[in-house]
Amino acid sequence: MTETSQMTSTSQAGPAGTSPPQPSGGGPGTGGQGTGRVSPFGAQGWLRWVWRQLTSMRTALILLFLLAVASVPGSLLPQQGIDPAAVQQYYTSHPALAPWLARLSLFNVFAAPWFAAIYLLLFLSLAGCVVPRTFRLARSARALPPPAPRHVARLPSSARQQTDRDPAAALDAAAAVLRQRKFRLRTGDGWLSAEKGYRREFGNLLFHLALLALLGAVALGGLFGYKANRLLVSGSSFANTVTALDTFRPGRLVSSSDLQPFSLTLNRFSASYVTSGTERGQPSAFNADVSYTAQPGAPVRHDVLRVNHPLAVDGAKVYLIGHGYAPVFKVTDGTGKVVFDQPVPFISVGNSGLTSEGVIKVPDAQPDQLGFAGVFLPTAVDVGGTLESAFPAPLLPRVSLVSYKGNLGMDSGPPQSVYQLNTAHLTQLPVPPRPLAPGQSIKLPGGAGTVTFTGYREWISLAITYDPGQLPALIAGAAALAGLLLSFFVRRRRMFVRAYPSPDGTTRVDVGGLARSDPAGGFDEEFAGLAEALRGAYAGTTVADDPQLTTTSPGERD
Amino acid sequence: MPINQGLSHFSDHFLMVALLLYFLAVLAFAADFAFGRRATDATRSAEPAELVPAGVAAPAAGGAQAAGADGAAAGPPAATATSSPATAGAGTGGAGTGGAGTAGPTSGAPGRPGILGRRAGLPAGPWVRAGLGLVIIGLALHIVGVITRGLAVHRVPWGDMYEFVIAVSCVAVIFFVGLMIKYRPYYLGLFVMAPIVIIIGLAQTVIYTPAGPIAVALNSYWLAIHVTAITLASGTYVVAAVLAVVFLFADRHSRRVAAGLPVRNGEVFRLLPSPERIDQLAYRTVVFAFPLWTFGIMAGAIWADQAWGRYWGWDPTETWAFITWVVYACFLHARVTAGWRGRRAAYIQLAGFGCLLFNLLGVSIFVTGLHSYAGLN
Repeated sequence: MTETSQMTSTSQAGPAGTSPPQPSGGGPGTGGQGTGRVSPFGAQGWLRWVWRQLTSMRTALILLFLLAVASVPGSLLPQQGIDPAAVQQYYTSHPALAPWLARLSLFNVFAAPWFAAIYLLLFLSLAGCVVPRTFRLARSARALPPPAPRHVARLPSSARQQTDRDPAAALDAAAAVLRQRKFRLRTGDGWLSAEKGYRREFGNLLFHLALLALLGAVALGGLFGYKANRLLVSGSSFANTVTALDTFRPGRLVSSSDLQPFSLTLNRFSASYVTSGTERGQPSAFNADVSYTAQPGAPVRHDVLRVNHPLAVDGAKVYLIGHGYAPVFKVTDGTGKVVFDQPVPFISVGNSGLTSEGVIKVPDAQPDQLGFAGVFLPTAVDVGGTLESAFPAPLLPRVSLVSYKGNLGMDSGPPQSVYQLNTAHLTQLPVPPRPLAPGQSIKLPGGAGTVTFTGYREWISLAITYDPGQLPALIAGAAALAGLLLSFFVRRRRMFVRAYPSPDGTTRVDVGGLARSDPAGGFDEEFAGLAEALRGAYAGTTVADDPQLTTTSPGERD
Repeated sequence: MPINQGLSHFSDHFLMVALLLYFLAVLAFAADFAFGRRATDATRSAEPAELVPAGVAAPAAGGAQAAGADGAAAGPPAATATSSPATAGAGTGGAGTGGAGTAGPTSGAPGRPGILGRRAGLPAGPWVRAGLGLVIIGLALHIVGVITRGLAVHRVPWGDMYEFVIAVSCVAVIFFVGLMIKYRPYYLGLFVMAPIVIIIGLAQTVIYTPAGPIAVALNSYWLAIHVTAITLASGTYVVAAVLAVVFLFADRHSRRVAAGLPVRNGEVFRLLPSPERIDQLAYRTVVFAFPLWTFGIMAGAIWADQAWGRYWGWDPTETWAFITWVVYACFLHARVTAGWRGRRAAYIQLAGFGCLLFNLLGVSIFVTGLHSYAGLN
């Protein structure tokens, strides 16, 4: 609907949607469809009225506006699908307002029923307008332009010319010129009509149909695609199954058996950082060296995952979206048994030194369960008595731990986060706060055991997505752009020529032109160039093809 | 590779001088309104209606209409006759030319009174020539400033907000100079260059960011594709927005004239073309920018798919790019719908530009999202 003959014809005739649409391939000669008046009574009449209102340009414009306005809260309020933590934050800071906003789906605007109503109505309106016009364009693929009007000189652009040739020869010459310029021709007794620029309507329809296809592609991804996350410590592997994934958000029609059965191992992760200047500590590159198999038994392949370089495996894509440190702890309990020896992913608290926090839960320790809350500092420096991390790379890694013993509460109550320690039934042990270097241990008081910081590994977080609508969306987008360009830069126009014998033996040739769609203007120049070319053709001289070289505008037109 | 600080200082100096030249150009364009061009009034009557590309021969084709042909024939002599006093008057002062100018329309071709504007190919007045010269030299320095910044940081020089604003203003000036060469809308100089001077001035003072490396996430060739398309479209939208504002004022003026209401600053408006012409130029500008913007969003979607694992995620910046797209699409539709043409369409276009500005400033500064690369802390 960038520019529509239906819309323009109705808008010229009166309020949009109340007058019959004109067939786009026809013209003055073929006339409208003659729908006549619809009775205001009766369901069919009402339905037809509603449909016509819905598919009118005005309604489409209003819906388009509504879509823009409806998107605004989605960008200003935190959104559940993008940042759930921010939504929680909003609940705590605006306890009275938040439930009301939630009731209006304002924390989930782009999945809200009212948002869907707007875009579905818009696309229905679009389909109602565009699909019939597509059929009309298809029918008019071979249609001829309408006959020349009686008074060609009264058309918006016109020229009166004279030639020594007889009328038939003049028309033949004119036809040759127009045919050479790819006009579609129709001839009659003493007249000639020509039309060009059907690609404008084609482009216009292509653009709008591509938008419909884009919506379909998005829906396809929403139904059959999935998104998942997985944290992976260097040296370990996982298989792409629902149980092995940390989060799994399937599309409506995805079952767990639809997951691509690949498995992936993180061999090594390295991050490099800017070491000097104002941007010191900013990351400059991340490389995750992984090996993977597309399905069980398939050959092992290697790849380096980087930001902006996802791994494509079996239709799914694996993205590197985060990284951090996982210090390795070895815990010996009061009985002398090693009850814990593994890396524990710590989460960055958000400063540039990549200071990270995490907890260690040792439920198997005897006689009491043990728990630790730790801070990992990749490059520990003493700043006025407190330890801080000065650089994100592990130049001087240190861990400080707060130790607890008692009941971790893991056997009862609600499920716990692995990143939080429930200290309700724990007692803090009196351990002097001393940061541990790799290899150092703390001997817990009261014979509770020993904890050793044996070293650290790095972890990465991966996003795994599968979206079957991706390629269709890309194709639809490219088609939309192509259609847009065609509809913007092609002009649909008609030329009419009538030749009359003059009493003095010469021939008078009236040339008229009409642009059916020319919102950017510029047809007058083209017309002048064409008129000049026609005049040259009767005279037997050739005129340069480029209208720009020969043209000017004949005068003010509306 | 390390940042070349010396080169980035060169860039700052080039941009400073470009700003100064632009400022002088604004003064020159303003002077053209104040004393330069009244004598050219006489040529208006022979004004062609369409936006005729410059360099096109003037006389009407085929002697289409007798009256029109007469007007066209009478026009050029009048123009040449009155243009020499204009040149002289510019040097000696405005008072003397006023009489010649007002006499022009009455003694010149009868023509159509409603048609205002300048004939394509008409020589520019001395003030316009001075202003345009300053703009072109300033633009050369502006471009050198952008390029040296890029060389200093070893990437496309639109990686943070300061660089982006400088690049957008550069595109706007390039587009403006292109318009000047193609359609010669001399009246536009003041209205385009004045906001450009303000934009660059604010960029250099308020949001200036020293040259630095960009976030790892931006280290992709899609930065060159996506941000370049967005930059080109934004720069063009700046010119379109200026045209919309000029249109609204010119339209209001011509309505008041038509209604017989008192008008102010009539002298200024007499130097503008008809509102229809300004509107048409604005439309053409948007038609140029809109596919670029569409392509920019699509390239951004492809990049988002590579970087973040989804091609569209309603990130605040994505959302506002979408809103901007929708509003400009509304403008394009409104422009061809009865009852929405003219003023209403112009307001929609300005609303679209407002969304673009909000996305650049509001969303980058006040809302956190994945596009938080402004480099402002």
